[in-house]
Amino acid sequence: MKKGFVFNQSLCVNCKACSAACSLENNFTVKVRNVLTYNREAAASVPLSHLSIACNHCEIPVCMMGCPVSAYRYDSLSEAVIVDESKCFGCKYCVWNCPYDAPKYDPVKGVIGKCHFCYSRLGEGIEPACSSGCPTGALSYADLSELNPMNTTEWFPENELSPSFRFKGITKNIPLRIIPDSLFIKKINSVPEEKKIRRSDWSLILFSFFSMLSVSFIASLLLKGELRDSLLLVILLFLPGVFSVFHLSKWYRAWRAVFNFKSSPLSREIAAYLFYVIISITSVFSHAPWLLVVAVVSGLLLLLAIDGVYIYSQKDPVVYLHSGQTFITALLLISFLSGSVWPFIFIACIKILISIYLYKPSGRNIDILRHIRNALLLVAGASIISGISYPQLSVIIIFLTGEFLDRILFYFDFEPTNINNLIYKHIAEGKYETERD
Amino acid sequence: MDEFITACPRNCYSTCTFIVQVSGNRIKRILPFSGNRATPEGPCIKGLSYIERSSSRDRIIYPLIRKKDGTFIRIPSDEALDIISSRLGSIRNRYGSHSILWYRGSGMSGLTNEIGYSFWKAFGGTTITYGNLCWPAGLEAVRLTLGSVKHNVPWDLVNAKTIIIWGKNPAETNVHEIRFIAEARNRGAKVVLIDPVRTPSADKTDMMYSINPGTDAALALAIAKVLIDNGLIDCEFINNHVAGYESFRDSLNITPESAEEITGIPAGDIIKLAFMIGKGGPVTFLPGYGLQRHINGGQTVRSILALAVITGNIGKQGSGFNYANLQSYIFDSVKEPDSYYPDPKNDSPFRRTLSMAKLGQDMMNASDPVLKTAFIERGNPILQSPDSNKVSKAFSSMEFRVVVEQFMTDTAKIADIILPAKNMFEQSDIIGSYWSPYVQFKPKILESPGEVMPESEIYYELSKRLGLVCSENQIPEPGNQNIENWLKERIKGYSDLQLEDLRDGPVIAPGLQEIAYHDFKFETETGKIEIYSQTAYEKWNVSPVPEYVPIKRKDEENNFPLVLITPNASGRIHSQFGNLKVIAENSETPALMISPEDAERRKISDGCRIRIYNESGELFTAVRISNRIPSGAVLLHNGIWMEEGGGGNILISGRETDMGYGSAFHDNMVEIELAD
Ligand code: SF4
Ligand code: SF4
Repeated sequence: MKKGFVFNQSLCVNCKACSAACSLENNFTVKVRNVLTYNREAAASVPLSHLSIACNHCEIPVCMMGCPVSAYRYDSLSEAVIVDESKCFGCKYCVWNCPYDAPKYDPVKGVIGKCHFCYSRLGEGIEPACSSGCPTGALSYADLSELNPMNTTEWFPENELSPSFRFKGITKNIPLRIIPDSLFIKKINSVPEEKKIRRSDWSLILFSFFSMLSVSFIASLLLKGELRDSLLLVILLFLPGVFSVFHLSKWYRAWRAVFNFKSSPLSREIAAYLFYVIISITSVFSHAPWLLVVAVVSGLLLLLAIDGVYIYSQKDPVVYLHSGQTFITALLLISFLSGSVWPFIFIACIKILISIYLYKPSGRNIDILRHIRNALLLVAGASIISGISYPQLSVIIIFLTGEFLDRILFYFDFEPTNINNLIYKHIAEGKYETERD
Repeated sequence: MDEFITACPRNCYSTCTFIVQVSGNRIKRILPFSGNRATPEGPCIKGLSYIERSSSRDRIIYPLIRKKDGTFIRIPSDEALDIISSRLGSIRNRYGSHSILWYRGSGMSGLTNEIGYSFWKAFGGTTITYGNLCWPAGLEAVRLTLGSVKHNVPWDLVNAKTIIIWGKNPAETNVHEIRFIAEARNRGAKVVLIDPVRTPSADKTDMMYSINPGTDAALALAIAKVLIDNGLIDCEFINNHVAGYESFRDSLNITPESAEEITGIPAGDIIKLAFMIGKGGPVTFLPGYGLQRHINGGQTVRSILALAVITGNIGKQGSGFNYANLQSYIFDSVKEPDSYYPDPKNDSPFRRTLSMAKLGQDMMNASDPVLKTAFIERGNPILQSPDSNKVSKAFSSMEFRVVVEQFMTDTAKIADIILPAKNMFEQSDIIGSYWSPYVQFKPKILESPGEVMPESEIYYELSKRLGLVCSENQIPEPGNQNIENWLKERIKGYSDLQLEDLRDGPVIAPGLQEIAYHDFKFETETGKIEIYSQTAYEKWNVSPVPEYVPIKRKDEENNFPLVLITPNASGRIHSQFGNLKVIAENSETPALMISPEDAERRKISDGCRIRIYNESGELFTAVRISNRIPSGAVLLHNGIWMEEGGGGNILISGRETDMGYGSAFHDNMVEIELAD
C-alpha cells in the first residue's frame, strides 16, 4: 500500500498550521513545508487557492538520483526520501532538479534541509506532523492507491516522477463572484521572480567557460601539431576547478563528489573533469601525441557531461539546443583557434540560427545582450573571413567576449521547472475556468 | 510518553479537543482527537503552538515587583503575597473595598474562575465592570427574539442548501467550520459571504457581497421587504410561531433601491440574494460578531435574524441563525448576557459601575470611592479596551496594581506586582463552548514551573493572610486533587456528567437540542418568536421592531475619512499568541491594510511606515496595500502588542452598542499619512 499526502484545496484556508506543526516537531533550520498561494493579490478576475507542499517522496526521486555526493537515501520502511545534512556539500543540484521546490538550501548552514516524511513518527505509527496538524483536513496522509493519479490541476508539474501526492475534492478553480463587480479589480502585477544571476551561478559560468577554453586550446594545439609545455595551458586546466569549488559551501566534502557516478550527471561531470585534467597535464609534459588525443577526447566528453548536467535538470529545447551550451561552443572555439574558416562559418551559422529560433523577446534588458552577443560573433567572423589568418588579440577578445556572453545568457535561460514559477505563469496566461454552473 | 485528552480554553468558537503527549514535564506533541465531531482534525495553529507557549522562555514564572526605575525584579512568592494582602487590607480600610477594581478578561475559560468571586465576596466586594468587549449586543438581540441563545450543532451545517456567512470570517477565526461549509458545497449548497472586506473566507464561497461597514441592517431589511412582497415567506411558520409579524411587515420602508444607496450593493443583486434566501431553503445564517460591534449592532442582528424567522429557517435541520450556542453553558447561575449587566438591585457586594466599553473614562470618573487599586487577571485591558490612552492613564493614576499574567504584556508592564499565571495545562478545569455542544474536562498535565500558582491558590493564600473565612467549597485548598474534588462538587447535579467520563473526551451537554428549537418552544414572554419586542423598547429604548439606524460617525468636517475596522487575526486570540515564534513565523507581519485607491491618493506605497491618527490618538505601523479592502476603509487586526506597533484601540473611542452593553469598536474614522 503506497501512502502519501492527499490535498483538498477546497478545505485549505492558508492557516499554515501544517507548516507550524512541522517546525514544532522537527529541528529543520529551513521551512520545509510551505503554503503557496495562487493569486496572492486577490485580483477579482482570477481564482484564488492555496497549496500546502513539502516533499512528495517521489518514486523517481530526481533529487536523490542527481546528488553527486549521495547525501540522499531512501528509507523503505517509511517510503521516505531523506537527505543527510552531514554529507551534503551544498551544490544545490537537487534544488534545480526537484520540480516541487522541496529541497531548501540553508544559507547559514550551507546545506540542504528537506522534509523527511516524519519517518520516525511513521515508525511509531503516527502520521506526519504537518498532516496531523491540519485542522481542516485539507492535508492528510492516506492510502494513495484508490485515488486518481494526479492531474486534477494543470499547474502541478511532472507527475511522471510518481510523487506520493494526490489531489482530492473540487479543484476546479473559478474566480470568486464579487458584488458590486466594480470592486477589487486591481490587476495582478506580480510576475514570476526575475531570473537573476547569483554569486554561485558566476562560479558555474566561469567553470564551464574555462573548461571550454582549455579543451579548445588543447584541441587546437593538436590540430596544429604544436606540442609544447605551456604555463597558460596549466592555468587554463586548473582554473575551472578553482572556480567550481567556490560555489560549494562545504568544499572540504568535495572528495565525495564522484560517489554517485552511476546516476548523477553532476558526479559524472566532476569525474570527467578530474580525468581530463590528469590526462592533459600528463600529455603536455610527456609530449606523447596519442595521450594528447586521449586528452582532447576526454575534454570533449567533459563538455558533453557539463551540458548533460543542465539537460538533466531542464529537459527543454531552451536548454539542449541553446547556443551557449559548452560542446557546440567548444567546436566553434576550436575552429577559431585553429584557423579553420569553413567549419567556423558553419558552426557560427548554426549558433546564430538557434539563438534566433529560440529567441522570445522578454521586454527586459537581457534582450539587448542577445543582440550584442550576435553582433560580436558577426564581427569576429567577418574579420576571420576577411583574411586575417591568425587573428589578432583584439579579434580574439571580441570573439571570446561574445562567447562568454552567450554562456551568461545560457544561465539566464536555464530555469528548471519549479512549481512556484508554474503557478505564476498559470495566472499570467489566464488558464483557468471562468464558467460557473 | 504520557498521553492526555484536553481542550482549548481560549475565547474561540472552536474549543478544540486534542491529545497531548508529555514527557519530562514538557509537551512533546499535540495530536488531533477525532472524538469531537466539531473539531475531529485537531486544533488550529494556536492550539499547536502550545508546544512552544507552555515552555516558552519568555514566560513569567516568578513573582515580580516593580522598582522605582520601572524595571521588574523577582521577589519570593511569600513576600509578594504579603505585600498584596497588606496593601489590599489597608486600602479597604482607608477607602472601602469598592476602591478596588477587580478586572477579569476572557483569557482563559473554566469553572475555577468562580473561585475569585468567592474570595472577593468574602473580602467585602469590589468594583467590577459591566458589559463586554465582544458579543453582548448580538446575544441580547437573539435572546429578545428567540428567548434564548442557541443554534444547531456545527455539523448540521452540511444539511443547508444555502449558507449566508454574514460578517463572519471562519477561514481565520473558526477554521473548523470550513469543513462543514465545504461539505455543504460538495452536496450542492450555495454559499454567500456578506462583508465589507474580501476576507479569506470569501474565497471559500461562491460569491461575496461587499457591503459598506455598519449598513448590514439596511440590507437585511431590504431583503425582508423583497421576500414579503414576493410571497417568499413561510406563512404557516409565521402564524404558528411568530409574534408581531404584522408590525414588522408594516414597518419595512427600505426598498432595494434605497438600500443600494446605503449599502453600496446594487438593487438587482439585493433582489437576487432575497430570492436565494427565499427559495434556497434550508438556509443557515452564520453571522459574525464584528457586525454587532457597532452602535446599531443589536438592531442589526435582529434585522438579519428576522430573515431566518420569516422564511421559517428556525428549528429545522440545515437551517438556523448560528450566532452563539450557549447550550453547554449549564453551570452559570446567571446566564449570559445577563451576567454582563449592571446589577438591577445593586445590592451585591460587587459594584458594577464601570462600562467595559468606556473603561478608561468610567475609571477616571469613578467617585465615592475613587479607584485606588486594580487586580487584573486573564486580561489585557491596556491593549484591548477601546480608547486605550485613557485606560492607561486611569490605571497609572492608581496607587497599586496587581496583574496575574503569563507574559510581559502591555498590561503586565504597568503592574506594581506581577504574579505568574498558570497555563491551561497546570490545573484541572471544566469548560463549555459557544459553538459546539460539548462540556469538556481539561486535566492537569504539567507541573507549574518556577513559583507559578493557579489563581485558586493565590486566592487561598491571600484569604489566609487577610483572615477571611471561606469554606472548602468556596476556595479549595492548594493541590490539584482538591480542585478536582471541587469540580466534582460543581457537576454533582448532572447525572450525565461524570468526571471520569469527561477524562475520556468531550461529553454532550445535558439537555442538548441538536436541532435548536426543534420543539418550537421559545422562552420569550409570548412563548413565540418575538420579531416585535416590547422588551427591546423598554429595556434599550430602540424600536420594538428591527430597524436600520444609520451610524453617526464622529467627525463632521471629514478630517478622518477612513473607517477603521479592527477584526481578529488568524494567528491570535485577541492579544494572545502573537508573542510566540511559531506564530510570528507563520503569519504576516502586522500592518494596516488599505485599498490601492486610498493608498494612491495618499502617495503611500506598500510596506511604508505610516501614521494613523484621529482625535483619540495616533499609531505608527507598516502599511500593506491590499486588494481585499474596499476603498474608504482600512483594516488593522486587534491584539497587536504595542512593541509591534499596537492594535488600534488607541484610535477607538469608548462607545456602547445599542443593546447589551457591548463595545462599538468599528465606528471610528481615521486618517493616514506617511510617517517620516
Ligand atoms: S494546515 Fe491545512 S488548512 Fe492550514 S494551510 Fe496547511 S493545509 Fe491549509
Ligand atoms: S484557539 Fe480555537 S481553534 Fe485554535 S485550538 Fe483553541 S479552540 Fe481550537
